[in-house]
Amino acid sequence: MKRWLRHSLLLVCVVLVAAFVASACGGGEEKPAAASPTPRAAGSPTASLAAGVPELADGTLQVGSDIAYAPIEFYEAGTENAMGLDIDLANAMAADLGVKVEFMNTGFDGLIGALQAKRFDIIMSSMTITEARQKEIDFIPYFTAGTGILVEAGNPKNIQTLADLCGKSVAVQLGTIQVDQLNAQNEQCAQKISITTFDQNPLAVEQLSLGRADAVTADFPVASNDARLSQGKLEVVGTQFEAAPYGIGVRNDSTELNAALKNALQDIMNSGKYDSILADWGLEAGSIK
Amino acid sequence: MEIFLSIRFDGSAVSEFFFNGVILRGVRTTLEVTILAMLLGAVLGIILAVMRVSHSRPMAGFSGFYVWFMRGTPVLIQLLVVHNGIPQMVGSRDFTLFLTPFRSALITFSLNEAAYMAEIVRAGIQAIEPGQMDAAKSLGMTNLQAMRRVILPQALRVVIPPAGNEFIAMLKNTSIAFAAGLVELTNAARLIYAANLKVMELLVVASIWYLIMTTAFSVLQAEMEARLTIVERERAIPLTTRVLRALGGGRER
Repeated sequence: MKRWLRHSLLLVCVVLVAAFVASACGGGEEKPAAASPTPRAAGSPTASLAAGVPELADGTLQVGSDIAYAPIEFYEAGTENAMGLDIDLANAMAADLGVKVEFMNTGFDGLIGALQAKRFDIIMSSMTITEARQKEIDFIPYFTAGTGILVEAGNPKNIQTLADLCGKSVAVQLGTIQVDQLNAQNEQCAQKISITTFDQNPLAVEQLSLGRADAVTADFPVASNDARLSQGKLEVVGTQFEAAPYGIGVRNDSTELNAALKNALQDIMNSGKYDSILADWGLEAGSIK
Repeated sequence: MEIFLSIRFDGSAVSEFFFNGVILRGVRTTLEVTILAMLLGAVLGIILAVMRVSHSRPMAGFSGFYVWFMRGTPVLIQLLVVHNGIPQMVGSRDFTLFLTPFRSALITFSLNEAAYMAEIVRAGIQAIEPGQMDAAKSLGMTNLQAMRRVILPQALRVVIPPAGNEFIAMLKNTSIAFAAGLVELTNAARLIYAANLKVMELLVVASIWYLIMTTAFSVLQAEMEARLTIVERERAIPLTTRVLRALGGGRER
């Protein structure tokens, strides 16, 4: 073997080994976003909830979610720890069922297809219950939120309602009900709304920050959170509109799981855990109790 | 078997959405970005390749650095730098608004393609026997004249097949421009299935359109190769044979 070839191969090996070692050392933070509640002792009143549910036979509730929608689901900056309302509620329900939770990050537009393909057991991803989605899967309502319009601070274009977006440019996340709302609004606009879609909400917000879009529409709690994080550069106009329930997505044939989750949700509502989680995130307004 | 019982595929949706307006605009955008970026990339690539083989150290050095950098970083990062990173750094609204999704994608793909084309053209130039350069110079041509009139026309023959590969690869890779909000064919399909949840049906629609486009360009490439062939007996290949060959079915003589 030629000398230069041997040397460059050696260099590549060294780089690969270094990368591997570095990732292994940092491995402490690389656990999947799983919580491990203490399983209840056998014989406790709710221990039987998970029994007879095929999806929970492995002791894990796998949850599909597009983890880029703070404060409902997001990664703590710089880590792979999923946090947010959905994560806390899923953990509380799973603790009630005596199973663990594993969150699986999936693009929002691919969630329903992946659930049907049995990549995970349920969806918890700020998913509003709509007719089109109900044709595909079942939902358990657990929270409610409407849409908020996020604009530049001071609202220079004076946008108050969806109708004010006619002739303006709006950035929005692919597959969300906000896309449906904008398309419906467009039917009534003399000057069309220029709608640009992105894979994730933060990418849409970035276009607003850059001045490329006049507004972003998203679920109200998320838009409010984006405004807070922008440190005064962005604001949410008025109050939310078209409030509708979020649903836990369950496959049509997951009858037992559906019933078990409904029970678990009722349990954490009765115990006060539901209220305290909503309060933790300042989202009491979305309670469906 | 469960899998046989639960297969859902709505064939009528494929025909329904094949000529859907969003899909057709996606096809047009895909073609526009690909063709324009390939043209710009080829021009820049030829310049870079000539610089690379020149005797000027700074020129060859710059060209080498450019290729190293553009080939060594993902095109998605390059797109995000052009579309989001630089506008944020500059902070001028006019500049940001100038960089529409289409322009950002076109700039990024042109600059990226230039690096690959530079390597392809360099290989083409170096495939020409060095004696030809000496011969051209002995006729009184300058370096650049010899390059333009003698070397590059011959290099073109070597360059066409790999350039065709690049073209087809880029046609498909334009889908990453969605990160900048550009809706080309792949993401036109995603936009539709995000709403109606007919995932497989729309993916089939998009795939058929891609196959139509890549087939057309493969035929075009075969045509160009046939026209550039030096040996006379190979030149008059009937179109049918060329089509078959472009599809990979024809036999080489």
